Amino acid sequence: MKLRRMINLVRNENMKLAHSISTWIMMGILVAIIVIVGMLFKFGNNQAPASDWKADITIQNQAIKESINQPEMPKTQKDSLTKDLQTNEYRLKHDIQPIQNNSLWGFVEGASSSLIALISLFAIVMGGRIVANEFSGGTIKLLLIRPSKRWKILLSKYLAVIGYILLMLLVLFLVSFLLGGILFSFKGAGIPYLTNANGKITEVNMVAHIVQVYGLQCIGLLMMVTLAFMISTVFHTSAMAIGIGVFLLTVGNGITMVLSKYTWSKYILFANMDLNQYINGRPLVEGMTMKFSIIVLIGYFIIFNVISYIGFTKRDIVA
Amino acid sequence: MEGKTIVQIKNVRKKIGKKVIINDLTFDVHPGEVFGFLGPNGAGKTTTIKMLLGLMSITKGEIYIDGFNVEKDFEKAIAKVGGIIENPDLYKYLTGYQNLVHFWRMYPDIKRERIDEVIKIVGLEKRIHDKIKTYSLGMRQRLGVAQALLNSPKLLVLDEPTNGLDPAGIHELRNHLRTLASEENIAVIVSSHLLSEMELMCDRVGIIQNGKLVRIQDMKEMLGEEVDSVIALAVTPIESAKAYLESLNSKYKPQIKGKEIEIIESIENIPVLVEKLVEQGIKIYGVHKVQQSLEKKFLEMTGGNEIA
Repeated sequence: MKLRRMINLVRNENMKLAHSISTWIMMGILVAIIVIVGMLFKFGNNQAPASDWKADITIQNQAIKESINQPEMPKTQKDSLTKDLQTNEYRLKHDIQPIQNNSLWGFVEGASSSLIALISLFAIVMGGRIVANEFSGGTIKLLLIRPSKRWKILLSKYLAVIGYILLMLLVLFLVSFLLGGILFSFKGAGIPYLTNANGKITEVNMVAHIVQVYGLQCIGLLMMVTLAFMISTVFHTSAMAIGIGVFLLTVGNGITMVLSKYTWSKYILFANMDLNQYINGRPLVEGMTMKFSIIVLIGYFIIFNVISYIGFTKRDIVA
Repeated sequence: MEGKTIVQIKNVRKKIGKKVIINDLTFDVHPGEVFGFLGPNGAGKTTTIKMLLGLMSITKGEIYIDGFNVEKDFEKAIAKVGGIIENPDLYKYLTGYQNLVHFWRMYPDIKRERIDEVIKIVGLEKRIHDKIKTYSLGMRQRLGVAQALLNSPKLLVLDEPTNGLDPAGIHELRNHLRTLASEENIAVIVSSHLLSEMELMCDRVGIIQNGKLVRIQDMKEMLGEEVDSVIALAVTPIESAKAYLESLNSKYKPQIKGKEIEIIESIENIPVLVEKLVEQGIKIYGVHKVQQSLEKKFLEMTGGNEIA
């Protein structure tokens, strides 16, 4: 019964989203940009034909072996190269072609990071508007005089935004998959992705790999939406929420980079948003670990949501 | 239960920052009555209504609706209340019907047929599937009433409902409220800064000024008692008429306003007064009523202007 009431609240928010034009404009822009990126992948790329990949890998392997034998090579780099070598040998042995840029999966994966940044932008707009619009339209007064607690209404709005983001991600995946297939043929769709954990090579379904790639990038997305949502809830203005959100989205990483020489910079939100830094490569500030970043992220997430909660439930409605 | 109160406002105080907006407000509203909440702009009408509906916190004191404390038991207290605060701000990009579905979903156990019922009550059947953007203000006001009736409320709260309505719209709304109060035994609280509206709509009027309740006036009592009215007389020569009226030593002094003399007198005494004036050789060109005395009292109480 309680759940059904929550579902009803979310349905209300979905109805409002579905009937405002901006929702569909964003979706349209997303699809259009996927198509443009697809065209760039197809016609702006002069990669070697895929037929001689075995020869390429063999040459690559020889180069790796030479580098590993150099004594001045740092250990971390040596480990990473050894992994590459193992994976390449597995490829030759089992005849598994590496993912090419101008292939179905190469496009889906390659397009993901820039397009998820675009989705982040739209998500900030969405999160920044969903609460503020009720205030600017005066509808908040009719919304809050119903037998629903204020925090439930706030939660329903948050869930609706998350739902819309998931929809955009699904659209991104499906459109880029279909477009990738049309532009580069569906033949390579069954190729597995190879993971290398301490020398043990596993074949993973490519879809699972893409979900992981999306998932890692969505952490930043979720944090920015929550931030925009918080600003929108506290200040009742979408302009400020969107402005700050977009500003941080664009310069956040740069600022963190500049500040990375100070040890306290590891507590900055942006230093922790990219968990990929622990999977491929090295952390931004020395001494940071995956566990540390996850704890910091959860901390920010809770703080943002608590501020939203207080800002929405404890204040007089003046509008 | 007859004689039960639906709204109890007990010693309510509202402070915003250091400013006291509402000070020690107490009154009750009974089922089936239309209670007018009258006061100049800025007197605290909207603030009181927002506290009643849980949109603003109560600094001190308590408000009960149907026996439930508004702050402590909000969901139960608000379940049987319908309201419009200031303008009926609805979702402009949705249709009238979608707006009603939206608010209907927020109540736990109301049949879907109720949506069609309220559309019929306010007579919006023809335009209900059009977007609100295309509605006139009068239609928005009607849809506002419709959403307020969705939960078959025991209490209807309307803040300045006639703002921006044309005379026909006001007339319609007035009839609506009277019907709801008498036929469905709903208590209605209406706020306004215009006394003329209140007189026609309400059973009782509470006059609020600077956050304090100055007086509660029962309109039926007022109609029953002998009421003095302001009467304007168009006469010549005006000076000798004034001198004669002053010689009668009535409670209020006659005043010259342009080409007319204004006096305050009971309507029943007018024919006699006119006869006497004729006997004095004064020519009478017109006699008409200017104001109800309550309005004059209201203006005196509230300083004669709208902004306190």
